[in-house]
Amino acid sequence: MSIKNLFLFGGTLLVFSFYWLDCFHQSPKYYIPKPNYKLPVNPEQNDTVQLGRMLFYDNILSANNEVSCASCHNSYNAFAHTDHDLSHGIYDSIGNRNAPALFNLAWQKEFMWDGAIHHIEAQALAPLHDSRELGSSIEELLIKLRSSSFYRNEFFKVYGDSLINSKRVLQSLSSFELSLISFNSKYDRVKQQKEVFTKQEKQGYLLFQNHCNRCHTEPLFSNFEYLDNGLTVDPFLQDFGRFLITNVEKDKYKFKVPSLRNISYTYPYMHDGRFLKLNEVLDHYEGFQKINQGRIINLEKPIKLSFNERADLISFLFTLNDEHFVFNQNHAFPNRLKEELIKD
Amino acid sequence: MQKAQVQLEFCLISDSVIHTPFRINETDSLTKFKFYISHIEIKGKNKYVSEKEHHLVDFHKNKHTSRVIKLNNVDPSDLLEIEFLLGIDSKTCNDGVGEGALDPIHGMYWTWQSGYINFKMEGVSKNSSAKKNRFQLHLGGFRKPYSSTQKVNLTLEKESSKIQLCFDVNKFISVIDFNNQHTIMSPSKESVRLAKIAQSCFYVN
Repeated sequence: MSIKNLFLFGGTLLVFSFYWLDCFHQSPKYYIPKPNYKLPVNPEQNDTVQLGRMLFYDNILSANNEVSCASCHNSYNAFAHTDHDLSHGIYDSIGNRNAPALFNLAWQKEFMWDGAIHHIEAQALAPLHDSRELGSSIEELLIKLRSSSFYRNEFFKVYGDSLINSKRVLQSLSSFELSLISFNSKYDRVKQQKEVFTKQEKQGYLLFQNHCNRCHTEPLFSNFEYLDNGLTVDPFLQDFGRFLITNVEKDKYKFKVPSLRNISYTYPYMHDGRFLKLNEVLDHYEGFQKINQGRIINLEKPIKLSFNERADLISFLFTLNDEHFVFNQNHAFPNRLKEELIKD
Repeated sequence: MQKAQVQLEFCLISDSVIHTPFRINETDSLTKFKFYISHIEIKGKNKYVSEKEHHLVDFHKNKHTSRVIKLNNVDPSDLLEIEFLLGIDSKTCNDGVGEGALDPIHGMYWTWQSGYINFKMEGVSKNSSAKKNRFQLHLGGFRKPYSSTQKVNLTLEKESSKIQLCFDVNKFISVIDFNNQHTIMSPSKESVRLAKIAQSCFYVN
């Protein structure tokens, strides 16, 4: 290598390392891994996201125009259905599962408690067609949207023509869902060295790392795997989780590990909302072994915590609440849709 | 050699006109029969592929729009074999929801668990123990171990610009025990078994 080339090589290396350091500092969320789906750029001004937001809140998605996605996914509850163990849809029909919270979806690959949906764009088809949720169909929805001058206009704004087809409807809904990002909890601010944990939160964090982090893995607080956490099968629901999708025996009793972020807003807990309080969840993890013999439960051993340790752990879990996300008006009922509904 | 257009026509029995319901025999008939064909390749010295990757063949729809596939710039004297997938490949499934033939409005997309239905056959059989002697076979799924997508490979014996690809419904129906198996609507061992039988029912007329 000539001296000139050596200088060139060294110079390039130096430039790149500065660039890398710069990226590192500019993005304070360097502890967050790369998402699986492309995040929508500038969501507040992004027409596709805003169209999806209107569809998300519009009752037009249900067969009788009375319920919407937001009926079970409330922005003020981190898009979960708080205070309902099993979510209810059209004609007061009760579903089989607890509506999961919606945030940081771009970091998941598959959706629903059992991973039934393998791609975010396909997700909306499931509640749309379920007779206990929106009770409609994509065909019916397209007919309704095409006959609405409001939506013809909105689609024109986004796509440059007024064609309304499945792809566009599903794409706009999913881009709104992908824009629901929640990394502004106290935990995040501590990670970004803007705040510090209290002594109790710090002790709780250590307990969390010892007992919970293997499945509720930082920083997303889930590894998004399908695991058996030892819950008994509800004799009425007979819900075998992942097995219903794969038909593979070893997938019986397995459900996707949910994220613990926004934990205060998303009660009740578990796929069927059987636990109202975090203490009930901790009771389960302490005593699950007694009830389910013969199952391969994905927990090494019961999590036995003293009264004080429980308080510490819960105080840490509360640092995962992101109030900025929950009260973000950019995710709430869109004004443009409100105006349109009043007009009618 | 002159390049020409080659026309593939999917049919049930040669020159048959499909009525609704399509009668198979005295007691059995089809009310719905459609399937996906993907990645068609005709091979000779050269390889020819169809412009569109995915086609929905529907026997109860207009022949020219739903059963005839045209391949351009093909040398008709250079055709030895044809290969295609019965169903949708897993890569396309993983890409999410598609447009055109792949639009979920065609009733060939599962909504309770996502993925395409590769092969849908519904009808009536005297052997079926279901309500009104109905049967519904929805074969799909792309996840292991129950992926029902099958590769079909057929030899082309004569030189022609029109290739008739037939599906032997009688053969397919005859192996199914409708008394015990009239409804399949999810990926399973049985759906894979039937997809393999469907694969063996294609022949060049």
